[in-house]
Amino acid sequence: MRFFSEITKGLIKENPMFVLVLGTCPTLAVSTSVINALGMGAAVTFVLICSNIIISLIKNIVPSSIRIPIYIVVIAAFVSVVDMTMAAFLPDLHKALGIFIPLIVVNCIILGRAEAFASKNNVLYSLADGIGMGLGATLALTIVATIREILGSGTWLGIRVMPNSYEPMLVAILAPGAFFTLGFLMALMNRLKEKRA
Amino acid sequence: MKYYLQLGVILMVFCVIATGILAYVNSVTEPKIETLKAEEAVKSREELIPGCDFEEVKLRDDFSYFIATDRETKELKGYTFTSQKKGYGSTIKTMAGLDPEFRVIGIKIIDQSETPGLGANCTKESFTSQFAGKTPEQLVVDKDGGPIKSLSGATITSRAIASSLKEEIEAIKADLDKKQEQEVAE
Repeated sequence: MRFFSEITKGLIKENPMFVLVLGTCPTLAVSTSVINALGMGAAVTFVLICSNIIISLIKNIVPSSIRIPIYIVVIAAFVSVVDMTMAAFLPDLHKALGIFIPLIVVNCIILGRAEAFASKNNVLYSLADGIGMGLGATLALTIVATIREILGSGTWLGIRVMPNSYEPMLVAILAPGAFFTLGFLMALMNRLKEKRA
Repeated sequence: MKYYLQLGVILMVFCVIATGILAYVNSVTEPKIETLKAEEAVKSREELIPGCDFEEVKLRDDFSYFIATDRETKELKGYTFTSQKKGYGSTIKTMAGLDPEFRVIGIKIIDQSETPGLGANCTKESFTSQFAGKTPEQLVVDKDGGPIKSLSGATITSRAIASSLKEEIEAIKADLDKKQEQEVAE
């Protein structure tokens, strides 16, 4: 049963974006539209699951004092392999997701979960953690992107949702809009948690 | 002492393995990626000026343009080239077709990694289509007083595309003028 609770904890209770506040910098950059958020979310989830598995497999042979540089080497190498393989064999998918791949290398969700979870747990739970955290990040990204895209472009997933007379608030899709949106959402999450406690 | 040496060696082993894997994957995928890119370049050239033979002219080490002549009548149809310039966060590669009077027939963004949602919108039809029919003098964005409407929130990207095209067209023009002069002199 712990397998499932490791997955579900990533969605709300330990949401990587709103609660752990991991990997926000590349995230803020791509949450300008829902389609980008989904693309980034898919790429993060995939890399997170694989890197969690690898890290948990090698955790016993890595001396703890140099674990961070080794995790970085493993993750960076893995991401580059994914990037090159996708470009060669799945060019269409690479065109859609390609710009997000280099962003993932610097995404602290991956390193954060390697350090906080995969290096201490077995492969199965690390897999569950990867799935949960990946989905949680996708969910958070999609919520931020929904707000920004509707306010900033008047569309959702490219479909017009606001009346034609709506003048798009450009600031929402620029960098400040990302900080405002994430700030308000985090405040909302904290408020809900306080109420429950 | 021995302990630190041990750490160094372990780290080195990991790096060597990772580098080996990367080198192997790269050697497998690189030729495939190159062919895909070359195929795409041929296809987009054909899209810009259809039914032509292309003759490559090397202008600089990193830049060459193609003279398009009709496959049947051998008549000059125009020129194509790929310009590149640094945009906001990446180098933007733009392929353009010109008619014999150096007016733009059309452009296509081949490669860019600009900010998603802002600069990355430069690949959209609504942005690229406005370049059609422009003379090199008109390749200036609205912020600089020209007719090219820049992308909202991405003036630097728009400006890089317009000015890279303008510069290369002028370079091609100068090259062709020089060649003509030489022919006359001979």
